[in-house]
Amino acid sequence: MKNLIATATATSVFTFGAALLACAAPLAHAETVTYQLDPTHTFVTFEVLHFGTSTVRGRFDKKEGSITLDRAARKGQLDLTIETASISSGVPGFDKHLIGADFFDVEKHPSARFTSDSFVFDGDQVKAINGTLTLLGKSGPVTLTASRYNCYMNPIFKREVCGGDFETTIQRSAWGMGYGLNLGIPDAVRLVVQAEAIKQ
Amino acid sequence: MKHRLPSWVCAAAALAGMLFWPLATTAQPVVYALDPAHTSVTFEVLHFGTSTTRARFAMVTGDVTLDRSTRRGEMGLRIKTGSVNSGIPVFDARLRQADLLASEEHPEAYFVASNFRFEADQLVEVRGEFTLRGKSQALSLFAKRFACRMDARLQREVCGGDFEGEFLRSSVGATFGLPFVGDSVRLLVQAEGIRR
Repeated sequence: MKNLIATATATSVFTFGAALLACAAPLAHAETVTYQLDPTHTFVTFEVLHFGTSTVRGRFDKKEGSITLDRAARKGQLDLTIETASISSGVPGFDKHLIGADFFDVEKHPSARFTSDSFVFDGDQVKAINGTLTLLGKSGPVTLTASRYNCYMNPIFKREVCGGDFETTIQRSAWGMGYGLNLGIPDAVRLVVQAEAIKQ
Repeated sequence: MKHRLPSWVCAAAALAGMLFWPLATTAQPVVYALDPAHTSVTFEVLHFGTSTTRARFAMVTGDVTLDRSTRRGEMGLRIKTGSVNSGIPVFDARLRQADLLASEEHPEAYFVASNFRFEADQLVEVRGEFTLRGKSQALSLFAKRFACRMDARLQREVCGGDFEGEFLRSSVGATFGLPFVGDSVRLLVQAEGIRR
């Protein structure tokens, strides 16, 4: 799948077929289907307020995972692993601090993981994903709320793709990431998640 | 060189600075240089009507002039389009091509504004002109938040906020991928300026 994605992306990031519209009708299988997360359209971005003034953002560039959906039963599962050292804020000195012991401590905890077997549907739409976030070796509940969700036939992969935009706000101290709380660095971290997954 | 670490580390006194710095103390224009470590432009575009693709520009420079007594301001922002960073190098290379950012022919994008709209003491909108691919159009950046503080580390006043604006990429001829990748581009601008 990685080769497929790399080839398709390298050839042309977007290739558009007229078949797209004809194939866009949702499929209605009464079975569990597995989707592999598309790393080029799956990103976790964090947002933290800087001294009450402006929003600092960073994202994780290396991740992998999969989703299973049973639309008839309206059930889903998600397993996403993030390589914490792949953090990217656009400011190298800040990245260096973030991967160190004060924050993500990537030497001891090279990955973070989000797993769920509790998808909340409203009709055919995924509205929320209740799961467990494991970060710095601690696990705690997180609910991702969907701001959009859709499935479509992707003309590059010639496969169905499902995905959406999700968000949540966590308190980082719940995972033991307490650095700077006494200095005014907020506890609240907003996570903005883009996710698309390709049918296997 | 960017200095984000010390501003996190040596921040204790900045708590006091989180109270808005008195707004009426300066009766003349004050110039603030944008802090590259806390200034960035991110764009968002909808991919196949399904999920939001984001990328940021790493190299953004400029300055802002504020005259609070008369509630006027000016802003000049310069964006190196070739510094686009989506987290996917091959996508960045595609973005730089002629039918999108056209970075070779137009290495910079600009936002220039001299119309600051305040409600009471609060900056709410910056109306200006956005130039991308050498084509200019009116653009408003709306302030989601705006505040000034005395920065403990810099020992200088810092003003900044979060701003959002939207434009149609087709209006500047960046048409590749339409309509599967959306025409509407949302700009998220983080900006902090250090008083000169």
